[in-house]
Amino acid sequence: MDGKDLTQKEQGTVELTRNLRQVAPLVDIYENDDEILLHAEMPGVQKDDITINIDNGSLTLSGLRSLTKEGAADWEEFGDLEYQRAFSVPQSIDVNSVKAELKDGILALHLPKSEAAKPRFIEIN
Amino acid sequence: MYTRISDIDRMFDAMGLLRGRLGNVFSDFDRTLGHGTDWHVSGSYPRTNLYDKGDTFELVAEIPGLSKEELKVKIQGNYLEISGTREVNPPENYQVHRSERGSSSFTRSLTLPADVDSDKVTATLENGILSLTLPKSETAKPRQISIN
Repeated sequence: MDGKDLTQKEQGTVELTRNLRQVAPLVDIYENDDEILLHAEMPGVQKDDITINIDNGSLTLSGLRSLTKEGAADWEEFGDLEYQRAFSVPQSIDVNSVKAELKDGILALHLPKSEAAKPRFIEIN
Repeated sequence: MYTRISDIDRMFDAMGLLRGRLGNVFSDFDRTLGHGTDWHVSGSYPRTNLYDKGDTFELVAEIPGLSKEELKVKIQGNYLEISGTREVNPPENYQVHRSERGSSSFTRSLTLPADVDSDKVTATLENGILSLTLPKSETAKPRQISIN
């Protein structure tokens, strides 16, 4: 050290690896007898940048948005970010047959209920 | 190991982090507000970015959930207007648990820094992002002046 340091680097400080702003996407949640349907608003996120994780009753959605920027910005009101949100889902979801589609920046997630969880009509003899 | 530049850099990193945290206070408080950019007043919808690429302007707008039929773009000189109506209806026979995305109709008008040639404008809509390529009109284009 030669006394010129403005601040002293602390050993063991955790480096900042990711600096993306995290935003919770707006969602609509619907349910019918067969499934739970979730619509999440994620404009600008590519299909491959979306991660959907269902584990032990919790559903985590994550989507990275990286926009291409060219030229000088006259104004900029939105930018790169990470959409992230977690939900708790009932255990009765059939995880193997979950389907997702992406259209116009809206992610539609179909969470089918397992057979045992569907309502049944009992006939009276 | 100790360099002044990297130290300054680190300091600003920490400040940036704090700023980000403060910006997110609002979104933590009310998730539906979390959509806006940190310190922005989220008054205008849709949000847009405008880039100047010399001969053309590139305008991108964040418009989730609209098909290209539901969207209208009007251009005259350096005036640009984006309007549309979004209907969010619950699918039939479904019970609604949560509804954060509402139906909305919007109009946003923008003034571009220069006139554009409206005949040559191209527009694409992908993943909820509208991109407009707006060639500047001849008089507004930068010109190389040769020195005699």
